[in-house]
Amino acid sequence: MALLSEELKAWIGREAHYPAREELGRASIRYFALALGDDNPLYVDDGYAREAGYPSLIAPPTLICETCQYAHRPPDEDGYIGHQWKLPVDNCRLIRAGNEYEFMRPVLPTDRISVTWTLEDIIERGRSGGGTQLFVSSVARFRDAAGELVAVNRETIVYQPLA
Amino acid sequence: MIRPTKTLQDILSGEKLPALEHTFTLVDLVLYGAATWDWNRMHYDIEHTKRLNLRAPVIDGQEFGAFFARAALEWAGPRALVKRLAMRMKAMAFAGDTLRAEGEVERIRDGAVVLTQRLTCGERLVAEATTELRLP
Repeated sequence: MALLSEELKAWIGREAHYPAREELGRASIRYFALALGDDNPLYVDDGYAREAGYPSLIAPPTLICETCQYAHRPPDEDGYIGHQWKLPVDNCRLIRAGNEYEFMRPVLPTDRISVTWTLEDIIERGRSGGGTQLFVSSVARFRDAAGELVAVNRETIVYQPLA
Repeated sequence: MIRPTKTLQDILSGEKLPALEHTFTLVDLVLYGAATWDWNRMHYDIEHTKRLNLRAPVIDGQEFGAFFARAALEWAGPRALVKRLAMRMKAMAFAGDTLRAEGEVERIRDGAVVLTQRLTCGERLVAEATTELRLP
């Protein structure tokens, strides 16, 4: 049976918007750098960052693409609060295939970052072991308080039917 | 005084980046989950991952992006900016695994340097990335 039903195709083009709830904040930046074991002074030292040409300390580039700070709701049964489509697909394992990030400028602790997710496409492809699986492509656009684009994250998740 | 930043004139095609290696402990996974507001039990709950037939909590694949970016920026210096980073997942990695990021300059294009990067756990390829940096 085809996985890509008409019901599922109707999801293509859907959007979900998460408005900024606060500034990104110095604590979020320092915490992220600590978690990575990254001692780059650009992420904690204003003086160093200014000397390098930035208005203040900056966030590690991938932070805003990785954090779920934009979300504000209780964790689901698996503990997750970030964006997910919750597509009507049963008995599938979700596997991250890849991410493509594009960065327009460094993000500052004072930035208020809103996120809009768009479900761009769903493709059904054959699997090497037989059967098919779904490739779900989404794009997240990150904008500052002025509405300027600061980063884009294109993400592909594979929905693989469980045996 | 800040560290120097590489310029396009400093760089040779094929030049290798210093390897970046880290053993991801369960504490590291908990730290990363908390720092990214991602409390998915896959990344710390040992009983939960056993039920999913996984050998240990799974390192969040998105963290590989941060690791690739860190390796690239430590090499290039503080005034370098990541313009693009495209990564492809090849295998899962787990709490306790030691991951090693290696890479080299693939080419210089339109004033930017394009790197090819790999993340491995021993002989196992975990992820690959193409990373484009803008240099001053």
